[in-house]
Amino acid sequence: MVAWRRLARIVLLGVALLVLFPLPRLYAQPRVGGELVLVSGQEPDTLDAQKTSAAVTGTLMRYLGDTLVTKDLKGNYTAGLAKSWSVSRDGLTWTFQLKDNVKFHDGTRFNAQAVKVSIERAVAPETKSPIAGALFGPVASVQVTGELAVVLKLKEPFSPFLDNLTDPRAMIVSPQAVQQLGDRFGRSPVGTGPFKFQEWRSADRIIFARNPDYQWGPSYVHAGPPYAERLVLRIVPEDASQVAAFERGELSILTAPPTDVKRLQATGKYQLSTFLRKGVGLFLEFNVTREPFSDLRVRRALNYAIEKKSVLAIALEGLGEEAYGPLPPSIWGYWDGITSYAPGYDPAQAKKLLAEAGWRPGEGGVLQKDGKPFAFTIFIAPIDTWRRSAQIVQAQLRAYGIQMDIQTFEFGTLLAKFRAGEQQGGFMGYTYTSPDIVQLWFHSSNIGTGLAFSHYKDPALDKMIEASRTEVDQQKRLAIYRDIQKYIVDKALWVPLWTNTNYVFIQPSVQGAKLHPDGFVVVNDASLR
Amino acid sequence: MQAYLARRFVLLVPTVFGVTLAAFLMLHLTPGDPVAIMLGEFASKTDVTRLRRDLGLDQPLVMQYVRFVERAARGDLGTSIRSRRAVTAEISDRFPSTIGLTLAAMLLAISVGVPIGVIAATTKHVAVDSAAMAFALLGLSMPTFWSGLLLILFFSLKLGWLPITESEGIRALILPAVALAAPAAAVLARITRSSVLEVLRQEYIRTARSKGLVERLVIYRHAVRNALIPVLTIVGLQFGGLLAGAVIVESVFARPGLGRLAVSAILARDFPMVQGVVLVVAVMYVFVNLSVDLMYGFLDPRIRYQ
Repeated sequence: MVAWRRLARIVLLGVALLVLFPLPRLYAQPRVGGELVLVSGQEPDTLDAQKTSAAVTGTLMRYLGDTLVTKDLKGNYTAGLAKSWSVSRDGLTWTFQLKDNVKFHDGTRFNAQAVKVSIERAVAPETKSPIAGALFGPVASVQVTGELAVVLKLKEPFSPFLDNLTDPRAMIVSPQAVQQLGDRFGRSPVGTGPFKFQEWRSADRIIFARNPDYQWGPSYVHAGPPYAERLVLRIVPEDASQVAAFERGELSILTAPPTDVKRLQATGKYQLSTFLRKGVGLFLEFNVTREPFSDLRVRRALNYAIEKKSVLAIALEGLGEEAYGPLPPSIWGYWDGITSYAPGYDPAQAKKLLAEAGWRPGEGGVLQKDGKPFAFTIFIAPIDTWRRSAQIVQAQLRAYGIQMDIQTFEFGTLLAKFRAGEQQGGFMGYTYTSPDIVQLWFHSSNIGTGLAFSHYKDPALDKMIEASRTEVDQQKRLAIYRDIQKYIVDKALWVPLWTNTNYVFIQPSVQGAKLHPDGFVVVNDASLR
Repeated sequence: MQAYLARRFVLLVPTVFGVTLAAFLMLHLTPGDPVAIMLGEFASKTDVTRLRRDLGLDQPLVMQYVRFVERAARGDLGTSIRSRRAVTAEISDRFPSTIGLTLAAMLLAISVGVPIGVIAATTKHVAVDSAAMAFALLGLSMPTFWSGLLLILFFSLKLGWLPITESEGIRALILPAVALAAPAAAVLARITRSSVLEVLRQEYIRTARSKGLVERLVIYRHAVRNALIPVLTIVGLQFGGLLAGAVIVESVFARPGLGRLAVSAILARDFPMVQGVVLVVAVMYVFVNLSVDLMYGFLDPRIRYQ
């Protein structure tokens, strides 16, 4: 009797201990629940992937939507909503087999018809799509060849097409929601992604909820719905407030401004991932249609005159790399010979070229030509790192007797002025996932409409860029991109300055968040402690 | 009184019309074609023509204005170009946050600034007076942006007491209200001090004292009450300052208010939205000044409304 009681007591104690101290870690499944909080300084213009021109919307669409093809954590193409695809030999016919049992957030079925409607909406002129339309631009027609089979016909071979399909703005949207919601779709979007739209409180936050039906994720995340119950984007305009809010635990993930990186790192509290920005962070772009930069020698001279190391050290606190060409090392197609091919810091060479161009020191050491001093104005945007970089370049050029004035414009105005060609020169930076960006920056068809802000017209360059887009052989494409990079450096359309490294800090309470090489945080596997 | 009220309300009509005219003309005073600016560089000719027709810009200016006022009177301020939502819906989303912040800051500024001013004016100790005025100078000189960040560093990060970027509830209101109130409180303290000093030199104060009234009653019943009239004027004017300051405070504390709405609308060239915010804020300001005028009578019964 006593023995029974003792045994019962031991068993009870054991149960109690197990309840009080559950076996941790060993059997721990990632917990479902909690809230992952991201932050942005900018509010999205719309959450309609096909109508947006804002970068932050692109990032959010990674969570709300799926694309036909996606890239894994090594940057290799992998199945998205299409489980397989093939391309005809001429590069014109793309055939996709779609995944089965995929549902949109509104409950409707994802199928070939949805792909057709979605792509046709993106390219329709009345959608006025700034980005998605261009991503699907080469598509001539979409044919539904079965419930889960779709064929895209292209107008011409287009080698960046596969990469375009992985862009978050190429996500497939719900045809029913688009039709029913009309203009309101942008405030209540419907996709197939791991999170679905819940609420948008203007200027405050956007809330996505876990999609419990999500079973069709890409191979590099676990099968099944994400662990976090909600994904929230807080809109906090001030950098300093973002950092403070992160330190207080109000935010889960933060891309820190350069000024705070070392301090946050020194606390040792946070998980840190870094990646080199996909794109050249800052370059001085010349307008070749205006004095004094219509002269190639002057443009080349400035490439020799500016010392990038101190610009990087002071403006970015050294958190990045010096830039030499139109592509950064983080984009496929980058030619690593560019660092030695492009002009480096060489004051003697700079002075020699300036003298050849007729600029000679006059009164007070100021460079003169035909009685006019060497003075020009660059236009920049009110971005802290840009402003600091401009001041350093200004000081460096002053030593050569060149007077550079800096004028700041709000970003939208700046773009408009650049397109109109009102600037002598200006600062710019970009983020992109493929080398096809050179088409936007340098093809003469983009003068006045796209991003060809150097207003440089050159049939030879245009031809090279066109070849880079139609060439299907990847090795040959690499060679074309190498030649393009050399050619642009030869013509000295830019002074590339730096490409910044992004420092992404993650709270210790967040487990399993991964950084994607395309520069966003994969949260499917992220759970909160 | 009622006749006065009625007349003041009638007088509001031209004022509000003036405000609508100013808000309306903003669109036309901007250099360049507003439609081209709104649609950006990629716009096609048909889009430009269509938007011009939608906005009624193809009609004579007077007709456009009449249409604008007519629609505004019906509570229709157009559709935001950026968010494609009704301007009134966007504004009413943001209105409570800004009003809450402004009122809290106003209350705080009055309840801190006025007593400091009274104490500084009536104290016999030079040190107290100097300290009060130094405090006021500090409050006035600190830019809101900077004081806001300092408050965050100390109360949110060091002490962990208050949230930084939350936007709902009283706790979230404290730090932004303090940051916004500081300059206003400083101004009120200085005005109150000089106004009380002015009144203390009046004959009726001497009378009150000589009839043997205790000093406390002299100060509070006779001096302060009379001294508050110029203070009230300043309170009305400060209201406008607080609305302007809200732009910065809302950015620092990430509050979804009218100030940020206005700034983002200006940056995005969202003209209907800018017009709407200007209109609402201006009308608000007009009404605040009206209520200040009406309050004079409560403080000083000699003021007759005729």
